[in-house]
Amino acid sequence: MQAFAPGIYPRSEQLVQATRDLDRGRTSQEAVDDQVERDLAELIAVQQDAGLDLLSDGMLRWQDLFRPLLEKTDGLETGALTRFLDTNTFYRAPHATTTVPKLGGPLGARYAAPLPGPRLVTLPSPYALSQGTGVPAARIAEAVLRPALAGVDADLVVLAEPFFGRAEDAKASELEEPLAALAGGPMLALQLTFCDASRALEQGLADLPVEAIGIDFYGTHLADVPKGFDKLLLAGVVDARSSTLEDPRELAEFADRLRNEREVEQIALVPNGDLQFVSERIAREKLSRLGAAKTATVEAAA
Amino acid sequence: MQFLTHEIGSLAKPPWLVKTSAGTPLQPNDIEHARTWGEKVGVDGYEELIATLERGNPDKAELGHWASRYALRLLESAGIEVVYDGEQQRTEMYAWAVEHANGFEPRGTVRSFDNKYYSRSAVTSEPSLREPYHNDEFAFLQSVADHDLKIPVTGAYTIAVWSYDEHFAPQTGRIGAGHGRNEELSARREFANDLARNVIRPNLESLIDLGAKWIQIDEPGASTEADELDIFVESFNASVEGLNCFFSTHLCFSDYDLFFPAIEQMHGCKQFCVGFANYDSRELGTSSADRPGYEVISKFRDLPYQPILGLGVLDIHTDFVEPPELVRDRILYATEVFGDPERIHVCPDCGLRTRSWEVAYDKLRNMVEGTKLAEEALSTAGAAR
Repeated sequence: MQAFAPGIYPRSEQLVQATRDLDRGRTSQEAVDDQVERDLAELIAVQQDAGLDLLSDGMLRWQDLFRPLLEKTDGLETGALTRFLDTNTFYRAPHATTTVPKLGGPLGARYAAPLPGPRLVTLPSPYALSQGTGVPAARIAEAVLRPALAGVDADLVVLAEPFFGRAEDAKASELEEPLAALAGGPMLALQLTFCDASRALEQGLADLPVEAIGIDFYGTHLADVPKGFDKLLLAGVVDARSSTLEDPRELAEFADRLRNEREVEQIALVPNGDLQFVSERIAREKLSRLGAAKTATVEAAA
Repeated sequence: MQFLTHEIGSLAKPPWLVKTSAGTPLQPNDIEHARTWGEKVGVDGYEELIATLERGNPDKAELGHWASRYALRLLESAGIEVVYDGEQQRTEMYAWAVEHANGFEPRGTVRSFDNKYYSRSAVTSEPSLREPYHNDEFAFLQSVADHDLKIPVTGAYTIAVWSYDEHFAPQTGRIGAGHGRNEELSARREFANDLARNVIRPNLESLIDLGAKWIQIDEPGASTEADELDIFVESFNASVEGLNCFFSTHLCFSDYDLFFPAIEQMHGCKQFCVGFANYDSRELGTSSADRPGYEVISKFRDLPYQPILGLGVLDIHTDFVEPPELVRDRILYATEVFGDPERIHVCPDCGLRTRSWEVAYDKLRNMVEGTKLAEEALSTAGAAR
C-alpha cells in the first residue's frame, strides 16, 4: 500500500499574494521565487509528515497542466482561455502552429524541482496535450513528452488525463500508440482525473502499455474495476474538488474493499485530481488524512 | 442608427484603495495615481481625495466612495453610455454575495487562472439574505452618476456552482459508489433555487424599490456543468419572475453552444451580454471566416423571445488594445448576422478588473470609437441603398 499526491498543489495564501503583487508590479520575481521555495519546503514537510511514499513538488510554478510544455515546444503555443472541466479554474488551451511540434529543451529544475527523496513527476498525457491542436497524440508523445521524460529523474511519472474519460466517442485503443512511444523510461502511470472511468475500463484501459492506472473513485464505481487488476492502481479516494475532509477510516475501508472484492494487489491512495481546486489549508489536511488512511490500511493488514 | 455601449462589471481597484484596505502605507506614486486619474477623467473635487490621502489614516468607506466616483468617471469619460462603478466597493463578485448571506463559511483561496484567484466558501446550512447588499452602493451611485446605471448582481447558479457544498449534497458514502449524478443534480437544484428565492430575489426587489431600471444577473459559471443548464435557467427565472425591471444576463468564457436549447426558457431575460472576443481573430474583416469567435451568435438571434445581444468585443485577458477598426468589424459582422441593429449592444467580454486602468481605458475608448465607425459604415451603406 502506498500513498502520494500527483498534480498541481494549491499555492499558500502568501504565494497567492506574492504572485498577485508581481502582476501588479508591487514585488519582484525574486521575491516570488523565494516564496515558492518556502511553499515547496512546507509541501515537502507535509508529505513527509503524512508518510507519503513519493514526494511531489506540487508543480507550484505551473500556471496550468500544459503551460511550461507549450512555452518550451516549438510549434505549440497557448490558445484561448478555457474552462477546466466543470471547475471555475481556466487554462490556456494548447494551440499548434505546425503539425510537427518539437520540445526545445528539458523542463529543468524550475518546473520539476529537486526533492529530497523518491519522487513523482506529473505531466499531461499525450491525449490531453494533443486536444484541439490537430496534432496526433502519438506525435505529441514522440516529439514533446518523450524528450521531456528523458530530462526528468523520477521514480514515477504520472500522465494526467482529464479529458479522455469525458469524451464519449474516445476509444482506449487510441491511447495505445502514444503511450507505447513513452515506454522504456521511468515507470509510467496514466491517471484519469475527475471522471467516471467505467467506459474506459470496459474498453481495456487496464491493458494499456503503462505500469499503473489512476481511477477517480468519486466518479467510478468500485465494481467497474476488473477483478484481478494486475497493475498498480492509483485509487483516487481523496476528492480534490470538495472542501469536505475525508475520514481516513473510510478511505482505509475502501482500500480493503479494492483488495477483497476486486482482488487488486498493488494500490496507491491518491487524490482524484489536482489538489489546486481546494485551498492550501484544506489540501494540507487532505494530505495528512491520505497518509493516515495508508497507515491505517497497513496496520490493519499487519 | 446608434448602438448602445455599456460596461460589464468589474474594474481594477486603484492602488490607494487596495493599499489602504490592506493597511499598507501609501507611496507618493499612489497619490500621484489619484491625481493623474482625477484630472484625466474629470473627477470633481479630486483634490479633496489627494488631501485626505496625504493626511493619512483615511476612512475606508469614504475611500470606497472615491473609488466609485473615479471608476464612474473613467467609464463615462471613455464614452460608455450605461455604466456602474467597476464594483469598487465590493470585495469580489462571489465573495461580496456570500459575505452578506447566511449559511456560508470561507474555505480559502483557489486559482481562477494563472496568478488570478478567488475566495471560495462552502454552504454549510440553509442560505438566506442577511441584508440587501447592493443598496448602499446603488443609492450612492445614483447620486453621482451622469450616465444611466446598470447594476451587476451575481446570479444564484454561479454562487451555487462556485461554492463547495457541505449542506445539500451527500457528505459520506461517496467513494466507489459510482457517479451518483442524480443525487448531485438534485442537491444543486435545491441549492440554486434556495439562493434564487431567499438571497437574490429579495436583493432585486430592494434595488427595484430604490429605482433600478436595468439589472444584470452575472452568471459566468452558468455553463460549468453541461447537464445543469436547466438548473441555471430555473434559478434565473425564480430570481426575476414577475419583477418589473430590465433584466439581462452576462455569460462568459464558455462553450456557448451548450446553452441551447436550455435558455429558450429564459423569457425574463431581455439581453444576453456575452464574451466572444477571447475566441476571435485579431485580423480585420466582416465575413464569418474573419470572425471565428462569433460563430455562435446566430443561436442568440434565433431565441424565440428575441433578446438583445450584448456583443463582447474586447478580450479582457490581454493588454492588446483592440483597434477601433477591429471593434467596428466585429459589430458589422454581428449586425449582418442579426439583420437588426436594434438587437445589438456593444460591451467588453467581461469585467476589466484584471487589466490596469491605463489598458482598460484605452480599450474602452477604442470600443466607443469602433462603435462610431460601425454606425458610420452602416449609415453610409444605408444611404447608398
